[in-house]
Amino acid sequence: MRVVANSATCAVSSLCVYRLPGVFDQDEEGLVLVLDEHPDTGLHEEVRRAVRACPTNSIRVVENG
Amino acid sequence: MSTHTPPRYPFAWTPPMQMPEALKDVHESSAMEVTLPSGDTATLVTRYQDVRALFADKRLSRNIARPDCARISKDNDLFMDPHIDPDPPKHTQVRSLVTKAFTARRIESLRPYVQEVADELLDEMAAGPRPAELNEAFAFPLPIKVICKLLGVPAEDRDQFRGYVDGFLAVTKLPPEEIGRARQNLWKYLGDLIEDKRKHPADDLISEFIRVRDEDDNRMNEHELHFWCQGLLIAGYVTTASQIGTGTAVLLHRPDLVREIQADWSLVPSTVEELLRTQIMGSSVGTMRYAIEDIPLSDGTVIKKGTSVLLSEEGANCDPRVFDKPFELDIRRQENHHMTFGAGIHYCVGAALARMELQIATESLLRRFPDIHLAKPAESLPRALGGFMEGFTEIPVDW
Repeated sequence: MRVVANSATCAVSSLCVYRLPGVFDQDEEGLVLVLDEHPDTGLHEEVRRAVRACPTNSIRVVENG
Repeated sequence: MSTHTPPRYPFAWTPPMQMPEALKDVHESSAMEVTLPSGDTATLVTRYQDVRALFADKRLSRNIARPDCARISKDNDLFMDPHIDPDPPKHTQVRSLVTKAFTARRIESLRPYVQEVADELLDEMAAGPRPAELNEAFAFPLPIKVICKLLGVPAEDRDQFRGYVDGFLAVTKLPPEEIGRARQNLWKYLGDLIEDKRKHPADDLISEFIRVRDEDDNRMNEHELHFWCQGLLIAGYVTTASQIGTGTAVLLHRPDLVREIQADWSLVPSTVEELLRTQIMGSSVGTMRYAIEDIPLSDGTVIKKGTSVLLSEEGANCDPRVFDKPFELDIRRQENHHMTFGAGIHYCVGAALARMELQIATESLLRRFPDIHLAKPAESLPRALGGFMEGFTEIPVDW
């Protein structure tokens, strides 16, 4: 899987950073950054949860990407 | 001729520990008409799918200072300020200033301070008379001290500004002249504080706002600076305080759940989320929006341009399509993506801070007082009426 984030729509809920600090980070403004585009298989379900939880739909995964 | 009046909103809490009965039938359709305390009608959107989509929909304006927009209260211009533009692009400029101060790193840097304040308050509570009143001993002073530190407001002023804020948020419980006086006093209090900070800037959010505003008048004018500082002060403690008190009361009503948490502290975060889902403190009158275009809903009906719209967080939070057994308190609930903090570009900026405060408050209290319990039957706890916040006004606890 490949993790993609859109900082233009991010509202800085910080939910993804708290859930997966190794995969997501924030810039100075608090906007989402992807630290690990290809997280380990063991984290995939948690990444999908983060995608569902994002209140602005600013993160998505490309399966097999 | 039909003289049918839409049901009154906010819905009544019946009995005090459970979500309003009225919520059980609200998902038959995407939306329903309701009558507000002012007597005006509005459309209440109730299904999770629609509420979540509409929070992010640009066809709903947050600017409710319009002559044809429904009013929440006859006696109070709640959230109506003709000099403030709460929609993009103006809103985006101001919001990015605020979110910078609420990043996960900044919030985490406050964690030791929040823990320290919680411990101090619990020490005082332990040394004081029993039963203690949880709101005054713990639920209010904790978030007040934290927001004061963050903004740079002197914590010793809290009795003064709390009275003003209470009047500011009144819907029907005070005569209009008292509400007006409270609003004026609060505005003046913040004006004086801003002037003082201008002369003596410190490492806090209000000083930072002043610096940005004084560098660039286009980013924020004086009125906007004043307005947003006031908004942060109010939203920064009233909501969290109400949630700490009421959420704890609901939890103490269920000693079985308290024991489960005390046997496994890793349940604290999911407990906090579940209390946020089921115990909305201010109904959803604060989500008032105005449709600037027609908006179709998931059940095929259309919200017409010019309609005043409320997005029912509590309706979304008990939608059986999304939440299994929605009226049950399940402290182990996973995938609890409730709408209590909203969604989209107006998602609560203080959500991460609130979550941290709620987690620390819940765990510290249950560790410090393993046998803590309500000192009065839950059914007799008085709920706040006639104001924007609807938590319990008195929560006597013993241990």
